[in-house]
Amino acid sequence: MHIHTEKIKVLTTADEIAIDITPQVVEVIERSKIKHGHLLVYTTHTSSGLTVTEGIPCLEADMIAFFKKLAPVEADYRHRRYLDFDGRVGFNAEDHLKSILANYQVSFAVEEGKLVKGSRQTIYFLEFDGPLERTVVVQIMGDR
Amino acid sequence: MVDFHTYPVLVREMVEGSEEMLRATRDVFQCGNNLQPLEVFHLQMDAGGVDTAVILPIACKRARGVDVFTNAQIADLVRRSGRFVGFASVDPAVKGAAQQLEKDVKQHGLKGVHLLPAMQDFDPHSKEAYEVYEAARAVNTPILFETGMSWAPDVPLEPGRPIHFERVIRDFRDLPIVLAHLGWPWVAEAVALGLKYDNVYLDTSALYHDHPIEFGRFVFNHLIPKTVIERSLRDRVLMGSGYPRMEIKHAIEMLEGAGLNPDAVDAISGENARRLLDL
Repeated sequence: MHIHTEKIKVLTTADEIAIDITPQVVEVIERSKIKHGHLLVYTTHTSSGLTVTEGIPCLEADMIAFFKKLAPVEADYRHRRYLDFDGRVGFNAEDHLKSILANYQVSFAVEEGKLVKGSRQTIYFLEFDGPLERTVVVQIMGDR
Repeated sequence: MVDFHTYPVLVREMVEGSEEMLRATRDVFQCGNNLQPLEVFHLQMDAGGVDTAVILPIACKRARGVDVFTNAQIADLVRRSGRFVGFASVDPAVKGAAQQLEKDVKQHGLKGVHLLPAMQDFDPHSKEAYEVYEAARAVNTPILFETGMSWAPDVPLEPGRPIHFERVIRDFRDLPIVLAHLGWPWVAEAVALGLKYDNVYLDTSALYHDHPIEFGRFVFNHLIPKTVIERSLRDRVLMGSGYPRMEIKHAIEMLEGAGLNPDAVDAISGENARRLLDL
C-alpha cells in the first residue's frame, strides 16, 4: 500500500465564500499514481469547513446564508476576548461554530486512478473568516 | 477608505526566512497567526472596503533587541504593494535619530512618524525626543504616538496615558499629533486633548477587545457621547484597525455599528486621513 499526501493552498477572496476545490483534489490523485484506494481531504483550520454538495452558485450562496443563520453574529459568545497566546482578539466565535457544523473533512473512494463521486458532487472549501491563504491536506491511501 | 494603523508583520514575503523578522513578529510584536502572502493583505483591505493602508514600523532594536520593520523595509513594501502609505520610526535614544528621520522621510517618501515611548523605552520629554519632533516638523510629517493599551508583551501601560503627551502637544502646536487607539482605556483623556488642542488627532485602531460592534457601541455611547465625535471631532478622528491584531474588515463595522452618523463615518473612514497625509 502507498500513501500519498499533499498540502494544497486555497486563497479565499472574501470574508465568507464557498470555493470548489474538486479540480485540485483530482490533480493530487493523478499525481499520486494510486489506482485503487481511499481519499481523505481535510482543512487544517478551525474557522473553515469542507463539505460536498451540488456545484452551482445558488447553492454556494445558500450554504453561506444557512451557516450564518445557525451561528449568528449577534450572540453572547465567550470567545469574544483577547487571546494572549495569539496576540489577537478572537471575535470569530461564530466562524468556529460554523466550522464545526460544516465539518472539516470529506472522503471518497479512488478506482482506476479516478475520484469515485456522483456527477453532481462537488468538494467545497468553506471559508468563514477570510480572506486568507488556507491549507488543505489531501491524502490518498491505496495500491498503484 | 483609509486604514490609518496597520502592521505588515504577517507578510510572508518580508518575514519568512529571516530569523530576525520572525522574532520581531512572534516575540516582540507577538502575533502567532500564520504568515500570509502580500496578496492576502490586499484582500483583507478589500473585505473592509479599504483602498489605502498606512503601514507602521517600530524602531525598537535598542529596547527589544530587534526592529519590527525598518524604514527601508517599509519603503520596500510600499513599492511592492502600490496600496500602502509608509510611516517611519526612529529611536530618539539612539544618537542621530532626528537626522535619520529627516533622511529616511526624504529618501523613501514616508508620510509620518510612528513613536511608542512605552515599547521603545524612551522619555517623550527628553531633549533627544524633542529633536525628533523638530525633525518631524521640518519634514512636515505628523507624529503617531501609541497611547492607551499596548498588547505587546512586557510593555507597561502607564506611559501610554494620553495626558502624558499634553506637553508635547502644547510645545508643537503646528505639528499634527495622532493619539492611537483613542487612548483606550483613557478615552476621555484622549478626547479631552482633542477638544482642547486642534493639532490632536485620534485613531480608532485596536479599540475593541471583544467584538467591534459591541465595543464600538460602548465606547461611543457610554465612555463618551457619540455626539462629541459627530459635532466636535469629526474632522480629527481616523479609522484604523491595528491589523493583524484586529482584522481590517472590522474597522468600519465598529464605526457604523456604534451608530455614528454617515457623514461622520465618511470623514473618519477616509477624508480625514487623506487630508492629513495629503493623499
